[in-house]
Amino acid sequence: MRSHFKLALKVLARRKFFTFISLFGISMTLVVLMVATAVLDNFYAPRAPESRFGRVLMIQRVTERGPDMTQSTEPGYALLDGWMRPLHGIERSTIYSNPHSTAIYRGQSRIDIDVKHTDGDYWNILDFRFLEGRPYASQEDAAGAHVAVISEELRQKLFDGQPSIGKTFVLDGDSFRVIGVVPRVSFTRLAAYSDAWVPIGTLKSSDYRHNFMGGFNGIVLAHSRSDFPRLKAEFQSSLKAFPLDRKLYTTMRTGLDTPFEATARDLTQNKSDSAALILVAVCAAAALLFMTLPVLNLVTLNLSRIMERGSEIGVRKAFGASRGALVLQFVAENVVLTLIGGVIGFVLSTIVLHYVSQLSFVRAVFEVNARVFAYGMLIATFFGVLSGVYPAWRMSRLDPVLALRGGAA
Amino acid sequence: MTTRIDTSASGPVIELDAVAKVYQMGDAPVHALRGIHLTVEPGEMIAVMGSSGSGKSTLMNILGCLDVPTSGRYALDGTIVNGMTRNQLADLRNEKLGFVFQSFHLVPDLTVVDNVEIPLLYRSMASKDRRKLALAALDRVGLASRVHHFPTQLSGGQQQRVAIARAIVGKPRILLADEPTGNLDSQMGEEIMEILHGLNRELKTTVVMVTHDERFAKQTDRIVRLFDGRQVA
Repeated sequence: MRSHFKLALKVLARRKFFTFISLFGISMTLVVLMVATAVLDNFYAPRAPESRFGRVLMIQRVTERGPDMTQSTEPGYALLDGWMRPLHGIERSTIYSNPHSTAIYRGQSRIDIDVKHTDGDYWNILDFRFLEGRPYASQEDAAGAHVAVISEELRQKLFDGQPSIGKTFVLDGDSFRVIGVVPRVSFTRLAAYSDAWVPIGTLKSSDYRHNFMGGFNGIVLAHSRSDFPRLKAEFQSSLKAFPLDRKLYTTMRTGLDTPFEATARDLTQNKSDSAALILVAVCAAAALLFMTLPVLNLVTLNLSRIMERGSEIGVRKAFGASRGALVLQFVAENVVLTLIGGVIGFVLSTIVLHYVSQLSFVRAVFEVNARVFAYGMLIATFFGVLSGVYPAWRMSRLDPVLALRGGAA
Repeated sequence: MTTRIDTSASGPVIELDAVAKVYQMGDAPVHALRGIHLTVEPGEMIAVMGSSGSGKSTLMNILGCLDVPTSGRYALDGTIVNGMTRNQLADLRNEKLGFVFQSFHLVPDLTVVDNVEIPLLYRSMASKDRRKLALAALDRVGLASRVHHFPTQLSGGQQQRVAIARAIVGKPRILLADEPTGNLDSQMGEEIMEILHGLNRELKTTVVMVTHDERFAKQTDRIVRLFDGRQVA
């Protein structure tokens, strides 16, 4: 096998034009796929402040359907408090609001920010690194303490980046005291993202406590992933007691989902509990479709080289190469080519993501880490095999006599 | 079915018994070879001659296990070739045969030494050993100083010497040379013939050579002549 790869490198080094054309197509394709993978990784891979998200289940979408109307929105506080929090055998749970946009003022300057209302356990599930101070506790939430955790970026805007513990700012007419500062969070981290975090108990009205629909999200931290099926089943079972407004609706659908499942449920408008599978299938089909053109291009290039390499194939067969050995050799050549394309794609993706992350409206830091690189190489290998097998099979079937007769020296 | 018979050193390396080859061209059968009987003993050097279309290439393809007879029996170094699978034939070629072609058929992407290693790639052999054998074969044909050149950097005579090194690197019992001097001028042709004679004399390699050159044919132990697919001498 080593000799096949060594040989492949030599052949590619000699056939510079073919190698260049092929590498160009492969690396451009892989750049797009790797950037997409990096974005998905940024959304879903467990990392601070969502390091524990390998063990979390979320409730992010509830849909009530009736003959005349459908309501599909985030769960309300009452649903989460009454049906999620009592689940048995969980490590913790948290309820937090969607971030809502508001404006605060520094003198005459308006600063647009997103604010999230959370309970105290939010800080025990999400592992924020505190640059200053501390998070607020459940008791402070229960007492409605007007305290806030702000992002490093907001500290810069409000206090010129100076130490800000104990300083105050006015939010929606109330004064909040800063007790903690955390690094900026990417908007792709939906559960963690905000500019400022304040206790739910500071909401001006307590009406939210009675709403089953709207405004909040819930997270359950399980002891291990193996608890997921049990927790999902318990949650679904407990929903039978949900007080559905039978005059308007006939069904209600929600679920405890992994972060990926939760997104899939949102994207498929909560029409199926198998949304994650559908989303994976759609993503895989899209990636395959995207790869089709460059794969076909490479297949065509490889096929066109059959005649060019007829002499070589004839010689190898004459000297004892079996069909299997030839297929292995040509596929190895193609895989080497695509892996080189993968490395080039990796470098280009890093550059592209660096510039994308610097765009002011993106508010996310995308990067090609080891995991994305590994996925990229996996895609490259798949690409190599896909585009190499058919030409290799065709080459290996050449009649050695005809190949030697038609081939050039 | 593969039949292994006694392979004593004194037994023939090639035995053709009533071998015929018929190609179908549309509805018309073309008889490329008709009832060939040929026995070649170990260490012999023979020439195959005949005009264009006489069946020389078909005979060489059958002797080289690149094609199979339509009828008749072929035993190569004691092994009945008829009925062997493609992979069995590939193994047999790798073990028993070396090929030298008129147009050299060197792989242009590979260096001289990599070209010579090709037959050894299909054997279980460490790369270090492969390299050692390839260098020894190149030394034998006088090209030890050109091992890292590419074929296009060599003259025709040198390319054919590389092809001979490739043919003998696996220490085959039989060397099949299809007009090995056909693309060379007379001086280079003589050099190549000298190398082939040396291999035959010193290594006792059996050589079967197709040639149009009566001069070179006369230097061999005997001449097999073909005409219209029949053996006439």
